Amino acid sequence: MDGRHYIVCGMGFGDEGKGSVVDFLCSPGRPDPARTVIRFNGGAQAAHNVLTADGRHHTFAQFGSGSFTPGVRTHLPRFVLVDPLALAAEAGRLAAVGVPDALDRLTVDRDALLVTPYHQAANRAREAARGRDRHGSCGMGIGETARYALAWPGDAPRVADCAAPRALARSLGLLRDRLCDELGPLGGPSVDLLCDAYRAFADRVPLVDGGYLRRLLRAGPTVFEGAQGVLLDEWRGFHPYTTWSTTTFANAETLLAEAGETAVRLGVVRCYLTRHGPGPFVTEDPTLELPEPHNGTGTWQGAFRTGHPDAVALRYAAEVAGGVDGVALTHLDVAARHRLRLCRAYRTGGRTLSRIEPGPGHDLSWQERLTGTLLRARPVYEDPVGGDPAGGDPGRDWPGLFEDMLGAPVMLRSYGPTAAGKRGLQVTGRRARVAGATVAAAAASSG
Amino acid sequence: MGSGRWSTNVYDAAARFRAATGASAFAYSDGGATGVHPALDPFGVTVRESRDSAEHPRSLAIAVLFDVTGSMRDVPRVLQAKLPQLLGLLLRKGYVADPQIMFGAIGDATCDRAPLQIGQFESDNRMDDDLGRILLEGGGGGQKTEPYELALYFMARHTAIDCYEKRGRRGCLFVIGDEMAYPQLKPAEVRDVIGDGLQGGVPVASLVAEVTARWDTYYILPAGASYVGDRQVLGFWRDLLGQNVIQLADLDAVCETIALTVGLGEDAINLDAGLTDLDDVGSAAGPTVSRALAAIGSGRRVLELAPPDMAVLDAAGLDATGPDAAGPEDLDGPGGNVRL
Repeated sequence: MDGRHYIVCGMGFGDEGKGSVVDFLCSPGRPDPARTVIRFNGGAQAAHNVLTADGRHHTFAQFGSGSFTPGVRTHLPRFVLVDPLALAAEAGRLAAVGVPDALDRLTVDRDALLVTPYHQAANRAREAARGRDRHGSCGMGIGETARYALAWPGDAPRVADCAAPRALARSLGLLRDRLCDELGPLGGPSVDLLCDAYRAFADRVPLVDGGYLRRLLRAGPTVFEGAQGVLLDEWRGFHPYTTWSTTTFANAETLLAEAGETAVRLGVVRCYLTRHGPGPFVTEDPTLELPEPHNGTGTWQGAFRTGHPDAVALRYAAEVAGGVDGVALTHLDVAARHRLRLCRAYRTGGRTLSRIEPGPGHDLSWQERLTGTLLRARPVYEDPVGGDPAGGDPGRDWPGLFEDMLGAPVMLRSYGPTAAGKRGLQVTGRRARVAGATVAAAAASSG
Repeated sequence: MGSGRWSTNVYDAAARFRAATGASAFAYSDGGATGVHPALDPFGVTVRESRDSAEHPRSLAIAVLFDVTGSMRDVPRVLQAKLPQLLGLLLRKGYVADPQIMFGAIGDATCDRAPLQIGQFESDNRMDDDLGRILLEGGGGGQKTEPYELALYFMARHTAIDCYEKRGRRGCLFVIGDEMAYPQLKPAEVRDVIGDGLQGGVPVASLVAEVTARWDTYYILPAGASYVGDRQVLGFWRDLLGQNVIQLADLDAVCETIALTVGLGEDAINLDAGLTDLDDVGSAAGPTVSRALAAIGSGRRVLELAPPDMAVLDAAGLDATGPDAAGPEDLDGPGGNVRL
């Protein structure tokens, strides 16, 4: 490859194809591929699908989506919410698809928060109590973990505690008692049993301090793998239909800055928009029947929804994410076979809206008003250009349209689920500068 | 949904993390414990209760008791690791709305430290806690006989289950072992282990009659135990339980076998649909379960649909293709079990 670090971030509501892009960046067929995947937000609720050329499939949750490539490591820094029980289960599933050593390729920052079965039980109890007003939570305890750490920063169980049984028993006991006091009996395993499993985790997986990441970044090219999408960001998404995590490039940039490194900011988008669960989705079109092999209706998230490409929402995503250096455009094969329409503006309350104005940041009431506006908005479509409106629109220049929407060159085009279906980013011999012009030149010459 | 359910098992996780370091997941046994964990001690227990609740309004009591004596070799350890999946399996497939599961263990009344260990009925993974507390014995042996009658006595006289009391639905009792019961329950053992004073001995056949009034009772003889396929042991239990004697050729399929048996009893499925379900959840246990349940499932099917020799043909075909035919008894085919 080009010796650079990449940050891979979804520009939609998740499910953009981040997993397959990360897998591609780590694939051995490329010169100088990434050796380590670094997660930087969320936790085990991530569901990044990767399909290998020989037909194996895994939905990555906590392990990096490059793990099918032998030797590719995963690091979970302090911004990740770590669920050791789910890590063990995922390692087991990976072993079944030919990756027997996932745990041996894992490092975890000692400062990361622990997601426990108590958080999960509380998460589900709250979500169930919301009834039809559910927020689309995955029920994995991510929000509950963030909430508890905000309320009790000194008591929140962290990864380092796993190696300190007495501290762990105390913090887990406090957590369980407080959640049960608030929500009633929650079940879950006993504190003793949980301590035992977490101790086994600490004995097995190297727990590292913050300085480890600097050495990792010096050692070779890496990929920062974001979870979910910018439009679900805790501060910039459409409150309350958001996630408890920063889904922009921000966390990755913080870690890179601490280590004195830089990276290419790669925004991943499908040629159309999807959303799992409730919340605003202006261009949703239930009559669009697009293939979706790995996403169904989740018990806690609700249905998988599909809609037309939305320039207004994408521009907003790029703007609040602080801009992207390059675009990875996925599902071009689907776009070529189906009639997608392009939404360039919304109609709402007699007005036409072509831009969503970002709020001042950290202002949830602003975001909530935005949600209200979007829930009432109707899409204004530009008629499809050329092609057969009943069949597909193979002639349409989707890469050009998305470059325009996101203000950056399309560096990677994906025509299929495996690494073999990816085109672009093949340039070698380029220097590690990240300036937009350099990237644009690289992309242009990659053809 | 809700409080009682979980997606990731704490035992599986600990076992997997320890897989490389060689430590055992069964800390209570391996930690040098020498007696029954207080939570599992049947002495002085009035009743173990399976009750309906607001969250679980249609409870179904399911009890799984397994032999932990030496003749079972590594089987109890495998069961301790596998059984936590049972609840999830029952719920995922919708075989039972509100299962309440109790785990327990049967040791040796004469020389073991824990002749009977009995957990609580639970609707969530607190039942795993009980499973982890089970002391693995390793004693006994030589007689091809263990005190299963003590366990049957406890189930008959010391359980209270809403599924039966409120809805007339019998609970499901699974005894996993490889030996026979003693022919008669001994009052001294009942006094020592459970604390009841009995006037005289009780024949095991009367205990079975008492238990089966409220519990659909199954005996599972698993591969890997000393007396797998033993005609005397199988004959003993078939005399008592008829077709409800299951030979299990692959221990990995124990949860699937129990779940499907429960599902068949609930009329939630027939055997073919259940086997399709197994495929759907990605379980490779289909052939083993199919063979194990051929008698029960096809017995049902025979009653409903097919000519009487169908069961034998099906079972024979499966046996011929199965890679791991368990023992000489299999040559007869489970057709011999069908009670018609």
